[in-house]
Amino acid sequence: MNLWRLEVLRLTRTKKWVALMGVYVAFGLIGPLTARYIEQILSRVGASDGTTITVPPPTPADGLIQYVSNASQIGTLVVVIVAAGALAFDAIPEMGVFLRTRVSPTWKILVPRLVVSFGAAAGAFLIGTGVAWYETWTLLGAPQTVPVLAGAGLGIVFLAFVVALTGAVAQRMRSVLSTVMTSLLVLITMPIVGLAPSISRWLPTSLANALADLPAGGTMLDYWPALGVTVVATAALTWAACAWSGRREV
Amino acid sequence: MIRTRGLIKRYGTHAALDGVDLSVPAGSVYGLAGPNGAGKTTLLGILAGLKESTEGEVAVEAAPGEIAVLPDTPRFDPWLTGREVVTLALTLGSRDRTSTAGDDADRVAEVLFQSGLSEASDRRCGGYSRGMLQRLGIACTLVARPTLILLDEPASALDPQGRREVLDLITTLRGQATVLFSSHILGDVQEVCDTVGILHHGHLLFQGPLSDLLVGRAVPRYVVKVRSDADAIAAALERSDWVRSSTATAGGVIHLEVTSLDDAERLLPSALAAAGAAVVSLGPEEVSLERAFLELTS
Repeated sequence: MNLWRLEVLRLTRTKKWVALMGVYVAFGLIGPLTARYIEQILSRVGASDGTTITVPPPTPADGLIQYVSNASQIGTLVVVIVAAGALAFDAIPEMGVFLRTRVSPTWKILVPRLVVSFGAAAGAFLIGTGVAWYETWTLLGAPQTVPVLAGAGLGIVFLAFVVALTGAVAQRMRSVLSTVMTSLLVLITMPIVGLAPSISRWLPTSLANALADLPAGGTMLDYWPALGVTVVATAALTWAACAWSGRREV
Repeated sequence: MIRTRGLIKRYGTHAALDGVDLSVPAGSVYGLAGPNGAGKTTLLGILAGLKESTEGEVAVEAAPGEIAVLPDTPRFDPWLTGREVVTLALTLGSRDRTSTAGDDADRVAEVLFQSGLSEASDRRCGGYSRGMLQRLGIACTLVARPTLILLDEPASALDPQGRREVLDLITTLRGQATVLFSSHILGDVQEVCDTVGILHHGHLLFQGPLSDLLVGRAVPRYVVKVRSDADAIAAALERSDWVRSSTATAGGVIHLEVTSLDDAERLLPSALAAAGAAVVSLGPEEVSLERAFLELTS
């Protein structure tokens, strides 16, 4: 038993991996299906006054757009909750005392939690993306491979940012709930700030849409600024989380 | 082993510790006694490196890996079994990198047995009672053979039998490790500790061998239990010039403070007979840590 195995057990025994996997795989299944049958769905639930709803024929990119539009929000919420449960290790002070009096320096407690949380989130996101990709291919036609892979890569960088942000916030908060709420507040504020076009291309949250945008004809050039900012911010937040965890009084 | 000088810890304007000069000899079982809110947990937290002092010096002659701390209400990830928790404590706290997996398993089984958790060791600790969690905490504290053990109210959550076992366990640690043991249950401190510190409102009022505290505070006292009329008999005894004070309490018990035990032994039986007392029992009153504590803190 060591700190790495402890984190793997936290995911498996608390069934948190099921929540992560379930969200991404479910949206991976539902997204392309919705894109393929959106016209039929709208005609069934549409108005009974004779209005005709016309939807353009779905393209392969639409399958991934539907997946991303659903998974980027609910998926990110689940990632924050799962990560906060692992990273806020002082939320129950007696548990914090158990680890802090045995492991020094404190960043050694934090690193396995950051890595395993990120690994689980990235794995679930990749599997969900694979499911969405396969189903899009069977229902709507094959999306271009390189843009999908690039979009998935940028999505993973965004998840690394989310986990690092949650890790840093957890070292300043006293509970899991306050860690979740504060992290979500930061993540929700970014798209609002990004309403200004000159700012949006620099924000980490724009990477979450890359998997929808790139197969639909977007270009990587639009994502380099956000990628740079996100990598630097992730490194800075990870460093801050490690530094703050060492200074904290329990 | 532990020495502090002018240790101060403030929370805002409130001083939880105010100029504490603690000295814990190596190999001793040191009892830190004091009421709730005296500053015991704060002091242990600073010694364990979990809190920063506001002012003063702290010297602990033990590396971080050689210190084990037991909080007053230990808690663990509820989805781990007791055996996994103790194994984790051994892995994280062990300084012996040459031990094999078999050695570690044997050591874990040994402390689980010592703590009375062998049968429950493969159950998830989320289902443990508070007393079992306390025992699990003690197992985790002992498993890596630390040289300094800081125990915060280790027996407070246990039933009488569990408390007895924990106190016996602490007694067996004498000579193997230095133990600093905080408690507001003075009987526990008196029973297992050889050195004692009395902490009250952040001030260390007394520190030294337990015998010094008890003997130094000893005032010659006698306790008499009578069948009836305790108040009248107490008043009659107080008129004797060798009696400094005489107080009747519930149950017909009279507490006498006398000029000397010798005077009481010679004169008390005749004085009781003269007062017409039906004596149930009498004898010198033992000085307890509780009485010494109350005298110090009053």
